[in-house]
Amino acid sequence: MDGQLLSDTFVELTDTMVADFDVIDFLHVLTDRSVQLLDVSAAGLLLADQRGELRVLAASSEAARLLELFQLQNDQGPCLDCFRSGRPVTAGDLAAEAARWPQFAPTARQAGFAAVQALPMRLRDQVIGALNLFRAGTGAFDPGDVRVGQAMADVATISLLHERNMRRSDTLNEQLQTALNSRVIIEQAKGKLAERLGLDMSQAFSLLRDHARARNLRLSDLAQAFVDGSEPLTGPAADARVRRRTADDSVRPGGGAVEEAQQLHRDGHD
Amino acid sequence: MTDSRRATVWGLVAEQAVLRGGPVAAADACTAAVAAVGVTGAWLTAPGGGEGGHLMRVTDGVSERLAELELTLGEGPSLDAAASGGPVLASDLGARDAVGRWPVFAPAACQAGVAAIFVFPLRIGAIRAGVLGLYRVRPGSLSAAGLGDALIFADTATLLLLDAQDQATASPGAPAGAGGQPVGLARHRSEIDQATGMLTEQLGVGIADAFARLRAYAYGNDLRLTDVARDIVARRLRLRPDLGLPPDGEA
Repeated sequence: MDGQLLSDTFVELTDTMVADFDVIDFLHVLTDRSVQLLDVSAAGLLLADQRGELRVLAASSEAARLLELFQLQNDQGPCLDCFRSGRPVTAGDLAAEAARWPQFAPTARQAGFAAVQALPMRLRDQVIGALNLFRAGTGAFDPGDVRVGQAMADVATISLLHERNMRRSDTLNEQLQTALNSRVIIEQAKGKLAERLGLDMSQAFSLLRDHARARNLRLSDLAQAFVDGSEPLTGPAADARVRRRTADDSVRPGGGAVEEAQQLHRDGHD
Repeated sequence: MTDSRRATVWGLVAEQAVLRGGPVAAADACTAAVAAVGVTGAWLTAPGGGEGGHLMRVTDGVSERLAELELTLGEGPSLDAAASGGPVLASDLGARDAVGRWPVFAPAACQAGVAAIFVFPLRIGAIRAGVLGLYRVRPGSLSAAGLGDALIFADTATLLLLDAQDQATASPGAPAGAGGQPVGLARHRSEIDQATGMLTEQLGVGIADAFARLRAYAYGNDLRLTDVARDIVARRLRLRPDLGLPPDGEA
């Protein structure tokens, strides 16, 4: 384990005092550093929003984000079990978990994951969410990794509760809801563009992202303008990008999806 | 837990409609929110009627004054909420950060007796249905439960306003679902959002109309909204511009 990165991470996860603190960026630090520091392939995070509903608020990859969504949609999976019990949940071999999670286990394996560890985001009696770690290979999770993962989740939880309870609960709540709405706008724009150009959702996202980058716009702003009709997003450049992207994706399936999660992170979600 | 909160909120909104003696409308969500969330007053605006929107409901004179102030001054929490797409929660209008944010509006609101203001944009992604505003005469944040309830009142008002707009334009409509509750606010909804975006192209309509057609199709065919959305995203189902029905043989 990278000791320097580990100590830097703990600083990042306590440093909520910065003026431009953004809760979504903060949660992405937790999922991204989990993948960098621990022997895991991907990480996803569910957090209860102010309505009391669990939401996917960060993921290190699109595959992890979709698996978190899948758990919510099917009301089943390790992250939900962990959230409800407030206890860690582990499965070293998802092939043996068909009885426990009849829908989640095969779907996670199909996505390329063989083992899963869920860690609660909990302070005393209050459970605010859960961090899911996914690994491609089977086998028990290293106890040292689990301890570090839990420690990161604990520190992040304390920081968030501190924000929520003390100084900046209003800002934090505004940011969470704004981010959730931005995600909805991006999904609407993906649908519109996919239908217009005959793309799949991942290709549509890549094209939106390319436009946002080329024009130096926030992705959610571009998506809003496209859905409103004030941004046509057409022309020879767009067509050429679609052809190139399609070719890329046939060589590297799923690559666009991982970039999507990264771009969403960079974009700052408003 | 949340489902029961949603049901409780819906019950309070429906009760207001009964007291008022009319069909359930977004204005009832505005009225019911005051006591349930624990605020002094509330107002509700819908798009149209100028930049600040059309004032649909005020529960008292101070609420009306707040809505007017924003229109007059061109600054304030509703305008910020419309720009960001998220709520604006100002728990102390006399505090330095609030005055820095709204140098004219904040002191004027304080003078009208308002100490805290909480504004919720009525939005589903790019769909804009209006704004729900709440105010208090004493400073302080909403409690966690109060904020959760306010968001659910805003969700309810959003769907009721969209239904009202839909009926006003005489398109197929998106009627109430089981128990008279508005359908459409599924919790985990990326496919619903993607399908709504796809329908803007298939039907040649705006995003709000596309959402109304999606809901109307699900309701009219007694299907779950998420199932219809999934079929549209998987391109197993297309809707036609005229009737919102699938082409022959593709349902």
